[in-house]
Amino acid sequence: MNHPTVSASGLSLHYGRTRALDDVSLRLTPGVTGLLGPNGAGKTTLLRVLATAVPADRGAFTVLGHDPGTASGRQEVRRRLGYLPQTPGFHPDFTAFEFVDYVAILKELTDRGARHREVRRVLEEVDLADVRGRRIKKLSGGMRQRVALAAALVGDPGFLVLDEPTVGLDPEQRMRFRELVAGAGEGRTVLLSTHQTEDVAMLCHRVVVMAAGAVRFDGTPAELTARAAGRVWSSTERDAGAKAGWRTGTGSFRNVGDPPAGAELADPTLEDGYLLALDGADAEVSA
Amino acid sequence: MSAVLTVTPPAVETGPRGGTRAVLALARFEARRLLLSIPVVIAFVAYAAWIVWRTRSSWDGYPALQDVDRATQSMPMLVGLAVLLSANLAALRSVRHGTENHLAVLVMTPWRRTAAHALSVVPAALLTAVCVAGQFAWEAFKPGAVGRGSPAELLVGPLTVLLFGTFGVLLARVIRSAPAAPLVLVLLLFTLVLGTAPGGASGLSWLAPVVAETSPDTLPSDLLGRPAAWHALYLAGAALCAAFLAVLVAGARNLAVRAGVVLTLALAVTGGVMQAGGAAPSPELTAARERASVRPDLTCVEHGRSTYCAFPEWEPRTGTWAGVVDRVQSLTGGSAHDRRLVVRQRIDARYGMEGDAAIPALTDAHQVTVGTSWGGNRVPEFSSAVAAVLVAGTEDAGGEICDGRMVTLMWLSLSWQDDPLNALRRVRVDDSVRGSAVVLSPTDPLSMTEGQTDVVRRLLENSPAGVGEQVKAHWDELTSPGVTTARAAELLGVAGPEKADSCEE
Repeated sequence: MNHPTVSASGLSLHYGRTRALDDVSLRLTPGVTGLLGPNGAGKTTLLRVLATAVPADRGAFTVLGHDPGTASGRQEVRRRLGYLPQTPGFHPDFTAFEFVDYVAILKELTDRGARHREVRRVLEEVDLADVRGRRIKKLSGGMRQRVALAAALVGDPGFLVLDEPTVGLDPEQRMRFRELVAGAGEGRTVLLSTHQTEDVAMLCHRVVVMAAGAVRFDGTPAELTARAAGRVWSSTERDAGAKAGWRTGTGSFRNVGDPPAGAELADPTLEDGYLLALDGADAEVSA
Repeated sequence: MSAVLTVTPPAVETGPRGGTRAVLALARFEARRLLLSIPVVIAFVAYAAWIVWRTRSSWDGYPALQDVDRATQSMPMLVGLAVLLSANLAALRSVRHGTENHLAVLVMTPWRRTAAHALSVVPAALLTAVCVAGQFAWEAFKPGAVGRGSPAELLVGPLTVLLFGTFGVLLARVIRSAPAAPLVLVLLLFTLVLGTAPGGASGLSWLAPVVAETSPDTLPSDLLGRPAAWHALYLAGAALCAAFLAVLVAGARNLAVRAGVVLTLALAVTGGVMQAGGAAPSPELTAARERASVRPDLTCVEHGRSTYCAFPEWEPRTGTWAGVVDRVQSLTGGSAHDRRLVVRQRIDARYGMEGDAAIPALTDAHQVTVGTSWGGNRVPEFSSAVAAVLVAGTEDAGGEICDGRMVTLMWLSLSWQDDPLNALRRVRVDDSVRGSAVVLSPTDPLSMTEGQTDVVRRLLENSPAGVGEQVKAHWDELTSPGVTTARAAELLGVAGPEKADSCEE
C-alpha cells in the first residue's frame, strides 16, 4: 500500500447545532479518490477542512506529513495543496494567464521566469494555451473551469482537492475534464467530490461515500459495486420492499435492496452500491 | 474529442518560495495592473499634458526655482485620486468577484496581500516623482532660471500620491464596499481642492496634502518660511501609517507591524505638530524679512557703466537687466547717455508670501528698482522705470511726470523692443494704446494722458532711427520740466495732441 498523502482521524465539525462532520477518518493515497454523497452529506465541508479553509472542531489530519493545526504546518500544507472550490470565483478582467499567474504568486512562486514557465505549462496541460491571453469574461463556462483547474495545478501540488468540478459542464466538456483529472491524478493525490458515479467509475481507484457528515463506505469502486451483488433485481412492478426502484427504458423496474425470493437478479453497478451505502442515511431516493 | 492529453509536460522548477519575496512579486503584479488601470492612465496622460502645456510658457521663461517647486504639487493630487480609486478597487477585487474563500487557502496570507497592495502604489509615486523631476528640470534648465528649489517641496507630489494610494488600500480593509472609494473621492475633492484657499496657510491648513501658497512676488528662498521638510515628514508618516494600519486591519498582529504603526504615527504627528508650529514665522524669520525689505544684503556687480545689486540668488540675472539698461541708455542724449545708474533689487517681504504691498519709489538720484520677477510685462515695466530715472533723475520724480517728458520717457522705454506697440499695450493697466492710462513700473506707477498716448503711438509707428536722432538732438528740451506734449511732438516730427493735456492746463 502506498504511503498516505492525507491521513485524517476523528474529524468533527459543527455549524451551530448542525453536525457537518461526524468523526471522519480516512487515508488518501496517490491516485484519484472519489467522494460521493447526497447534498448536505458533508462532502464540501470535508474538502474545506482538508484544504485548510476551515478548522475542524475535533480530530486531526496531516497532509504529506504536515499538521495544519499549527500556523507553520498550515502554511506547509497550503504550499502542497491545489484547491478547486465548488464555485470558483474569477477576476473577469484578468486574462487566463494573469489569473493563473496571480494564483501562482499567492502560492509564493516568486521567481518570475520560472513562474511564467509553470503557468504556461499548466495552461498547456488543461489545453488553454491558445487562449491564455484572452480575458476570463470572454471564456466559456468549460474554459473557465479549466482555468480554475490550471490555478489548482500550478506549482505542482502533491494534494489536489476538486469540489464538484464537472457541475454545469456539458457532456463533451465533462469528458474533457475527466481526462484532465485523470492526468492530474498521475503521481499525485486527488480528492474528487462529485455527484456523478460515472466519474468515479471511470476515474477513481478508490471511493468514499459520505452521508450525514459520516463516512459510509471507503474502498475501491469494485468493492462498492460488489456491495450490491445479489441486491439488484428486475420486476414488472416497483417492488414495495426495495430501497430504491425505477422504471428503466425497457419498461421493467430495476430495484435495489433486499430482493424477494426468486427475484430476477441483475448485474450491479457502482450506483447501486452507492445507493446501498447510503442505506440508513437521510438521502431520499425516489422512483 | 478534440483534445486528448497523451503527454503531460513535467512540472518546472519554480524557484525559491518565501513570504517577503512573494509579497514583492505580488506588489509588482499589482503595480503593473494599477499603472495600466484606466483612471491612472488617464490621470498620468492629463498630468503629462499639463506639464508640457504649462512649462512651455511658465514664468515667461524666467522661473525662480523656489516658486517652481511648489508649482509641482497640485496636479499630482489628480494622479493621487486616480491611484486611490484604483488601489481601492484592486484591494477589494477578491470581495467584488467572490474569490476570497478561494484565495484564503493559498499560501499568502491576507495581510501579506494587503502589504503587496500598499507596496503596489509605490511605482505610481515614483512615476510621479519622475514627472515632478522632469517639470522641475525643464524649468531649471531654462536660461533665465534663478534661485533654488526645495527637495522637501518637490517630495510633496509623490508623497501625496503615496498617501492617497495607501489610504485607498486602508479604506478597502476598513470598508469592504466598492462604492466607498468614489464617495471618499468626491469628499476629498471638495475638502482638498475646493475647500483649500490658495493663500491660506494657517497651521490647520497644513494638514492638507498640498498647501499651494502663491505669492505675487517671488521671495528669496530663505525668506519663504514654509515648513516644507516637516510637511514632507507628515505626509510620509501619514502614508506609511495608512499602509501599516491596512496591514494590521488585514490580520497582521506581529510586533513589526504594530511597531510600524506606532512609529509612522509618531512621524505623522511629529510632522503635523512641527509644521503647524512652523506655519507662523519665527522671530528670526520676521527679522530677516524686515532686513530684506529695508536694508537687504545685496550682491553688487558691474555691467558696463552701471552697477546692479541683487539678492544673491538673482545675481545671474543682472546681465539681463543690464541689457535693458544699455538699450534704453543708448537711445538717450546729453549727459544721460553716459550716466552711471545703480539698479537695486527690492522686495517687501515683511508680510511673507501673502504680502502684496507696493514698493515706494527711490528718492536717490540715478537709482532704479527692479523686482524679483522677470520676463513678459516685467521687461517694459523695468524699461519704463529706467527711462523715468534717465529723464527725471530719480524714480520718485519720474512718477510725478505729467508733462511732455512722458512722451520721450515712453518712447525710450518701448521703441527698442521687438513689438513696441504691443509692449505699450502690455505696460498699461488698461491694455490699450488709446486714451489715458496708468503705466506699470516696479514701484510707483506712471501715468499717460490721452494726448501723450496718441503722440507716443505715432512715434512708435515711425522708424526708431529717425526719431532717435531727434531725441538726441533735442534731449535737453525734451527732458526739461514743463515741456508740453505738443512741443515734444513738434520736436520729434509727429502731429501733436488735438488739445492740451489736463495736467498741463
